[in-house]
Amino acid sequence: MNEDTTNAQNKSKVKSVVVISTAMLTFITFWKAAAIVLCDFGSSAFYAGGIAYNAFGPAFPWYILGVSFFSGLLLMMYLESCSMFTRSGVFPVVSAGLGEKAAQLAASALLFDMALTGPISGLSAGNYLIGLINSTLAILKINFSMNPEIFSMVFAAAVVIYFWYQNVKGTEDSSEKSAEIIKLSLIICAILFLWSAITLALRGTVKLPPLKPQLTKEAMGWAVNIPFMQKVGYIGVLIALGHSVLALSGLETLAQVFRELEYPKIQNLKKTSMIIFVFAVVFTGGLTFLAALIIPPADIAKYSDNLISGLAMSLKGPTFLKLLLQAAVVFAGGLMLCGAVNTSIIGANGTMNRIAESGILTDWFRKIHKKYGTTYHIINTICLTQLLVIFLSRGHVYLIGQAYAFGVLWSFVFEMVSIVVLRFKNREQKREFMMPFNIKFDHFYIPIGAGFVGFIVVALAGINLLTKKIATISGVSFGLILFTIFYISGRLNAKKANIMFEEGPREKLNETQVPELNKAFENLPYKENILVTVKNADNLYHLEKVLTDLKDSEINIIVLYVRPLENWNAGKDRAGTSVDYKELFTQVILKAENFGRPVHPIMVNSNDFFAAAAQVAFAAKAQKIVMGVSGTYGANEQMEYMVMAWAALPEKYKITAEILWPGREVSFKF
Amino acid sequence: MDNLNPQIYLINTPTTKQEIVKYLVSNICTGTALNQEEVFKAIIKREQGISTTLESGLSIPHARLEGLTSFRAVVAVIPQGIQDNYGKNIKVMFLFLSPSGVQYFPEHLKLLAKLAETFTTAFIDELCTLKTTKEIAAKLPF
Repeated sequence: MNEDTTNAQNKSKVKSVVVISTAMLTFITFWKAAAIVLCDFGSSAFYAGGIAYNAFGPAFPWYILGVSFFSGLLLMMYLESCSMFTRSGVFPVVSAGLGEKAAQLAASALLFDMALTGPISGLSAGNYLIGLINSTLAILKINFSMNPEIFSMVFAAAVVIYFWYQNVKGTEDSSEKSAEIIKLSLIICAILFLWSAITLALRGTVKLPPLKPQLTKEAMGWAVNIPFMQKVGYIGVLIALGHSVLALSGLETLAQVFRELEYPKIQNLKKTSMIIFVFAVVFTGGLTFLAALIIPPADIAKYSDNLISGLAMSLKGPTFLKLLLQAAVVFAGGLMLCGAVNTSIIGANGTMNRIAESGILTDWFRKIHKKYGTTYHIINTICLTQLLVIFLSRGHVYLIGQAYAFGVLWSFVFEMVSIVVLRFKNREQKREFMMPFNIKFDHFYIPIGAGFVGFIVVALAGINLLTKKIATISGVSFGLILFTIFYISGRLNAKKANIMFEEGPREKLNETQVPELNKAFENLPYKENILVTVKNADNLYHLEKVLTDLKDSEINIIVLYVRPLENWNAGKDRAGTSVDYKELFTQVILKAENFGRPVHPIMVNSNDFFAAAAQVAFAAKAQKIVMGVSGTYGANEQMEYMVMAWAALPEKYKITAEILWPGREVSFKF
Repeated sequence: MDNLNPQIYLINTPTTKQEIVKYLVSNICTGTALNQEEVFKAIIKREQGISTTLESGLSIPHARLEGLTSFRAVVAVIPQGIQDNYGKNIKVMFLFLSPSGVQYFPEHLKLLAKLAETFTTAFIDELCTLKTTKEIAAKLPF
């Protein structure tokens, strides 16, 4: 073999194989998505009833049940927002609907909610645990009890610190664990329901709790000075609902988890929402109602910090079995509440990252951990805030509960109003789901149903402003501080923000160089592969077509970019021919996310696109190579060269090549 | 496709790719109604697209022509090699013409595949050692 031949063979071989990955290339089932949301949203069942009881007395189960039913309407609103934005949630939706300043305010409210979710969940888990310990000590007649506030404070701080470390390290996929926690909670819920039914049957009579709330002076807040608000009519109902609305915290997680939901996304989101709704009504509403029916009225105050434990201990049966059930409640509740701490850190980090992507936050916030690749400055800030809240509350869940609803409600207000505004502003935008009850007029769907939900949340938020002093003062202060940080950071970052706005947000890509092609495909989940070549971020029609048409979900979609080089040895990019691969793969990942189908991006260096595509397809044992049509050459020419490149391989098998462009395709099996 | 019977030429004088294409076009058109100038233009137009030269040293200038009802081909073996515009060293040039009808396109692609598969680096090196067109013809599977 002469020198020319050797050079020719070396030139045609692909160089530098890079496997691209991001956190967003795996997708989860509707059941796992529901479990993630429920670990946050469902955990409020453990403390919402007690806080509502402290605010307006024995009528609390009706209102908790009421807001649980109301969650169904909010879930439908989230469905509409997710059908418009794959990367949904407060910040993108409010940005589109009401503008960036409103989005910053909404995000501030949401972050306030998340800053309190961690502490309230951690403290509540501590309360349940200390409740169990103290019950056990009392039954064992050991004359010792621990201070619940101090114990809960230390426990909550330990949980936050644990999840701080996990998040800085970059937590692995937690959906499996969430699903296990929810399964366990459902089993315990079923036992509680069955045992409660037996208890009620043995008692013979059931006395329903009163409907009328008994609002304390504290629960009235500033409204105590407004005479007409003191009459417990519709306003009283709204005030009581305002004190119960914290049971809705965690719904935002649905928007955050939507991007991870597998194909078909909206159908799966509907199933996810249905599971969440049934869980909210049965678990949060149902268990709170049973607690009010079964716990003797004189004991409810005692159990207000661990209401479900109180339900377990008030059932008819042997003390030992009741203690065992309480232990099970504490175990499941503890896991769910600790899961909520984690979700609050992940959610706040995600929200801050969305804000950072818009260029508002300075580089200090966006700093990536050298070893773990996480945005550790943001995580540190969130966890420090949560620890501060835990110590300021001195372990009192009710105190945080008073402040809590502010963030939940105001983030809802901004989001719901934005969804209504977007009906008019983006009336042409495709929506796979629309909140029901609309009147079609000209090009508009006048949103009667969405408007009603928007009106309710605005009314509740307005009432809460007057009645929940702690929430208003702390929420407004926190919001203003955050808004000021966003404002100053935005000004400092203005130049960079403009560049980021023009370029669009970039996905964080992990690039792993592998020594040879075969190694790039070792860990693919399925046996069968399709290779899709990409070159231009604006020409991904063929990838979309593959993502839409692929019936079999057990086929890996490998997305290849062949990066041209001018000089092998120097490794310099060939000027003008190499595209911005980060932008290209960001668009590829966004497409995959929109469809909820995983893709496996890979980049190789080669000056012969077709030879490289053939080698990659062969190494991956792909059944099909799919290309977009080139703007420079015709589809027939592309097919000719693809055929030649494949045939020139020393070993080969039968393969199909397809070139796709809108309305047409060229396909050849060879 | 097996009955292609291409005319074979052994080129030992220094020349250029364009000259060889011109030479082969003039030969492939001889005795046919094909217009030499138009065929040459069609081939050069195709060459201006994606290069038809493979890393093995095989160049496949070709064109799909209206009015043609069968495939026609000529082969040139260039032992000393010539450089194409992309720096690739051409040692065998297989020039062919195919009918432009859609129904012929699969056959057209099959021929390209067969050429790329047959003319490996080793096979081309072997052809370059042969002294006569007769010896070359005996080696070709067409």
